[in-house]
Amino acid sequence: EYEEKTGRAHRPLSPKQNVRKNLDFEPLSTTALILEDRPANLPAKPAEEAQKHRQQYEEMVVQAKKRELKEAQKRKKQLEERCKLEESIGNAVLTWNNEILPNWETMCCSRKVRELWWQGIPPSVRGKVWSLAIGNELNITHELYDICLARAKEKWRSLSTGGAEVECEDAGFSAADREASLELIKLDISRTFPNLCIFQQGGPYHDTLHSILGAYTCYRPDVGYVQGMSFIAAVLILNLDTADAFIAFSNLLNKPCQMAFFRVDHGLMLTYFAAFEVFFEENLPKLFAHFKKNNLTPDIYLIDWIFTLYSKSLPLDLACRVWDVFCRDGEEFLFRTALGILKLFEDILTKMDFIHIAQFLTKLPEDLPSEEFFTSIAAIQMQSRNKKWAQVKKMLVFDNR
Amino acid sequence: MGSAEEDYNFVFKVVLIGESGVGKTNLLSRFTRNEFNHDSRTTIGVEFSTRTILVGDAVVKAQIWDTAGLERYRAITSAYYRGAVGALVVFDITKHQTYDVVDRWLKELYDHAEASIVVMLVGNKTDLAQAREVPMEEAKMFADNNGLLFVETSALDSTNVEQAFETILKEIFHKVQKQKQRSSQGNTVSLASESPESTTLAQTEKRPCCVAL
Repeated sequence: EYEEKTGRAHRPLSPKQNVRKNLDFEPLSTTALILEDRPANLPAKPAEEAQKHRQQYEEMVVQAKKRELKEAQKRKKQLEERCKLEESIGNAVLTWNNEILPNWETMCCSRKVRELWWQGIPPSVRGKVWSLAIGNELNITHELYDICLARAKEKWRSLSTGGAEVECEDAGFSAADREASLELIKLDISRTFPNLCIFQQGGPYHDTLHSILGAYTCYRPDVGYVQGMSFIAAVLILNLDTADAFIAFSNLLNKPCQMAFFRVDHGLMLTYFAAFEVFFEENLPKLFAHFKKNNLTPDIYLIDWIFTLYSKSLPLDLACRVWDVFCRDGEEFLFRTALGILKLFEDILTKMDFIHIAQFLTKLPEDLPSEEFFTSIAAIQMQSRNKKWAQVKKMLVFDNR
Repeated sequence: MGSAEEDYNFVFKVVLIGESGVGKTNLLSRFTRNEFNHDSRTTIGVEFSTRTILVGDAVVKAQIWDTAGLERYRAITSAYYRGAVGALVVFDITKHQTYDVVDRWLKELYDHAEASIVVMLVGNKTDLAQAREVPMEEAKMFADNNGLLFVETSALDSTNVEQAFETILKEIFHKVQKQKQRSSQGNTVSLASESPESTTLAQTEKRPCCVAL
């Protein structure tokens, strides 16, 4: 009868299924806990036992009430905190939309905006602000994205039909390389934020992620696809429309630090690690010594953090806040964040050995407290003997030559 | 672009919002798979299902998004609401608290979604009528005053679930049709209309398959 109504052929419901299980059982002292005497057909309880049971019953009720009250208070507090947070986000949205974004050039560097920026950009304007802050030095247009995507599709088609060698205009990059790269993209997409279920096969942004990564391999065949990129593209897709996400993606990867890492330029990567160690020793000398003693080199954790811009190791909301400031302050902030993490967990890390440190740092606690985290980053000094990040890096480049 | 067949094929993105535990995931599974899960866990991230229905003589594909973690994962809010043309704001008729916060959900919705989005208020769990805390008239009045569609459902015994989704999809469909008429009167080339409102709705029209794997 039900099925006739809906006109869908599904397995019939058993009557049992139609009864809601009492899953959200709450110890409501008045309803759920009832003290009853023995049924009339059995001998009555002795007075002593009845008294004992009454006492136990009353204790249970008191406990249940206490629990209820505590739960209710906890819920109320959570709700209040949520309201407060939502209100502050709401106010921030207004400021961003009405004051900052219309006057971007003049306002983006003011102290007031920097402070608001540090608090985290509200999700509804985040994409816009990132785009503006990253810029479009490469002058990529939506049309260029379409062209790159069309080329990528062409290549996928010829690969899937097992067609003859694709004539590639970009000499030096063999079809086999490209094929491997395409396989890698497919594999990585399903591993990108798997618990969000957004990018997996059949998920709403699976095709978008695939398109952006494919288009990039056609836009920059010299770089191609490198693991870690799928996370960066995914975070951008969460905040921007497809073509704008591609523009931000390409420009972001074009920054010197990202280019060094994604092209796996070992010399430059070592320079970055060395510069990082200068500030590590300066800010956290004890932990630095502990790491040295355990032969824990920065590549062990920094590679993961830099390649995915923290989106894999940090809880996503925190990673996005790191991105907020990274888009504004550039590569220096990535290393400052790294030091902030080490500082926040200094006490725990000092007690750990090599393996545990490595494991801990590549998967940071889910419940990492955001305020403490950003306070810790703010406390990091990015000056070493009067030299700033860029100067230290430059010096090291010379040393390496 | 624009064969007669394509003109009548639509993909509508509809989002489910509301407090944790009001039955969003079960409404989704009842509508898309005719299933109800007693032991459903808290949704982590996004659940995502589609079902195709006929509206008049047009084939409409409903792409329904369900999430629990909006308050836990602020990072995905923007993606969640982007491109949505319909929203079901769900509360539990047996828990007044879930109804009290409906206006907060509406605020968040209007902060992120297009103003033209079609919104339906849904009072779920009518099978628990004996424990009702939110009178139907009260919710109905709230919906009327705020220009929302309104329905009461039970994902458990499937009362009105089908109707709820059909009603909102029809409403969206009519809105799109009106918009199309308007834009064709203005002699604009069907899809690439300049006005932001019609762009969003136009985007919902079925595009050729994007990726050939």
